[in-house]
Amino acid sequence: MAFFEQEIHDAPSTFLSKYVFSFDHKVIAKQFLWYGIAFLGIGGMMALLIRWTLAFPGEPFPVLGQILFPDTNGVVPPDTYAMLFTLHGTIMIFYAITPILIGAFGNYCIPLMIGARDMVFPTLNMLSFWLALVSAILLLASLFTPLGGAAGGWTSYPTLSTLIGSAGVGQTLWCLALFVLGVSSTMGAVNYIATIITLRAPGMGYFDMPLTVWGLWLTAVLNAIFLPVLGAGLLLLTFDRVFGTTFFLAGAAATSGSGDPVLFQHVFWIFGHPEVYILILPAWGIVSDLLSFFARKPAFGARSTALSMTAITILSTVVYGHHMYSGQMSPLLTQSFMMLTMTISIPSAVFFANWLGTIWKGALRFDTPMLFALGVVFVFGLGGLTGLYLATVSTDLYLHDTYFVVGHFHYTMAASVLLGGFAGTYFWFPKMFGRMMNETLGKWHFWISMIGLNGIFMGMMIIGHAGMHRRIYNPFVYEFLQNLIPLNMFITYSAILMGSAQIIFVYNFIHSMYKGPVATQNPWNVGTLEWTIPSPAPHYNFAEIPVVKCGPHEFGNPNLKGKDFQYQTEELVKA
Amino acid sequence: MAQVQSTNIMTAKEGDKVISSVGMIVTLVSFGMLFLTLMMAFALYRFTAPVWPPAGMTRPDLLLPTLSTLMIFLSSFFYVKFEKNTSTGVVDKKNLTLTLVLGLAFMTSQFLFWSHLKSQGIFVSSGVFASIIYAFTWIHAAHIVVGLALLVWLFGALNSGDKLAAVKVSSVGKFWHFLGIVWLIMFVTIFVL
Repeated sequence: MAFFEQEIHDAPSTFLSKYVFSFDHKVIAKQFLWYGIAFLGIGGMMALLIRWTLAFPGEPFPVLGQILFPDTNGVVPPDTYAMLFTLHGTIMIFYAITPILIGAFGNYCIPLMIGARDMVFPTLNMLSFWLALVSAILLLASLFTPLGGAAGGWTSYPTLSTLIGSAGVGQTLWCLALFVLGVSSTMGAVNYIATIITLRAPGMGYFDMPLTVWGLWLTAVLNAIFLPVLGAGLLLLTFDRVFGTTFFLAGAAATSGSGDPVLFQHVFWIFGHPEVYILILPAWGIVSDLLSFFARKPAFGARSTALSMTAITILSTVVYGHHMYSGQMSPLLTQSFMMLTMTISIPSAVFFANWLGTIWKGALRFDTPMLFALGVVFVFGLGGLTGLYLATVSTDLYLHDTYFVVGHFHYTMAASVLLGGFAGTYFWFPKMFGRMMNETLGKWHFWISMIGLNGIFMGMMIIGHAGMHRRIYNPFVYEFLQNLIPLNMFITYSAILMGSAQIIFVYNFIHSMYKGPVATQNPWNVGTLEWTIPSPAPHYNFAEIPVVKCGPHEFGNPNLKGKDFQYQTEELVKA
Repeated sequence: MAQVQSTNIMTAKEGDKVISSVGMIVTLVSFGMLFLTLMMAFALYRFTAPVWPPAGMTRPDLLLPTLSTLMIFLSSFFYVKFEKNTSTGVVDKKNLTLTLVLGLAFMTSQFLFWSHLKSQGIFVSSGVFASIIYAFTWIHAAHIVVGLALLVWLFGALNSGDKLAAVKVSSVGKFWHFLGIVWLIMFVTIFVL
């Protein structure tokens, strides 16, 4: 489409314009990365508090417990427990994964990979980050209100989230924080969509874009369409809480007229199911690219991978009902939603087979990014397959709201997305900071994380299948669950193991930023556009806008002499 | 590095038209989904209630909402004229002023409508129909306020002889007409039907 060239701006000279109020997409990407990593730490600590409570009910949390809960001698109190799982979900989804995968990699990769000098709307981009920061302040402020933060679950169903279920200002601040974050993400989405449509380098058709950009683009489309749906729901919920409207009040809760609490569930999941794909699509894109890059083979069926991701994007909008099977939905509807949900398996199987086809007979290089990408293939396979039991009405009625669900969505949303994010971090770190990360520490980080997270989430699926419900403060007051105490302890030890692996990552990240070996222009020998410019990328990205002549995955061409890859700016070598 | 090749300015101007319309269309899809969700909520309440309006509420008087509809329709009409003149290079502040005045008249009519409801004893907490009327008109009015601010901002763009004025006028126009359409849909479904 219409192509035009952005001007080269002067390099920012002051500290503020360079690092704080920067219009540069690369700086904004790093800001989002730090933001996300900080919240990953907070959300992870909350997860450890939850796990400790489930494995050792009634025992004080070591060290931190005495500081956080002096009234109970270090034991997590029940109301705090509800707040912890609510905010753990909220923070991990909206404040950790979204900023890292979409904010950081979206901002960093899109302009560099399509050969642009910046996003089309740099001011909007900066505003998007600062609104995200406002939202974070609102959310963290809710922790310091008299009754604490939101405690109605990350889904915040009424009546748990209306004034009846949670009094106090915490839940209201939660609603406002998410609304502001939604506005911020929508700004980002508008920017990404417009950038990819209008700023692709000359010669770059949609199928010449790396699959990372495809994933981020589809994510942006879903964000632009479905975040406002959540926004509308949150506005109505806020009105219910602040102004006394009766949208979600029914029965004795409403003084007059009648609202409908179930409406919020519909609105939430119309947004919520696409949100699942919003989180996973960038990781799919990154993994699809990395598998090809490190198998030194063209991505198997790259076009069909892109098209099946598009098909999933479309299908994801019509399956939300599978979250509500146990909500007295008519059997006709549950069957329809089951059929539609199962249909998603077809495009998923297509690109999964493409992943396997890509590494089949490849000359695999097991660098850290590749290990993480292969890790995603494994955990996403498991997460996807266990989803089938939850899509099927008959099994879901038994498994609904158990730890099986928790295990399933952590395999897909936490494990896959997190590993995908780490893969991207290790891969693009040289381009971001001009230095390499330590490979040995990276491999330790991978293996310990991998063992830890499989221990956690596999264990969760087992205890879920055994009947342990989620969101219960002390499940062992029920006699039939008391046999599960050792398994819960195993999960908690796995969680501690995984948490400690992240210390290696943080050390590696910060140490490599200053002391790592200086990166060459193209340390991974990859042909996409971001590797045609120096590391770290200069503020204008491309001195001369590149002209694209071949696809992003041209590896192992037998006609090539002396190297096994070619840049996208080079004419495809033919015999 | 600050040198700008002269050829780029030509293409950049062409490009600004494309990016601003792509950006604005995506933005309006987002706003559209916000209002669509609200309309979905309304439809659900409407079709599941045994009697409508529920809770013994009477329908609000149609006079003021009809007046609002007229105002916003006329303001869009004058904006179309203004946009047409701008695209031919004429600085047409008269029609822009008319749009702004009619937009303010729309807001006045909405305020009068809210105080009329209040005088009849219909408050925001008087059942779900009252909640819908108040909340939806509030959300729409909040967007109108943004639209009015953008109209004022256009005066500045026209005064400074901005090269991008035509692009800005067309983007703000899309937003303003969109709000008119949303109001028309809300008027027909919530007040008339």
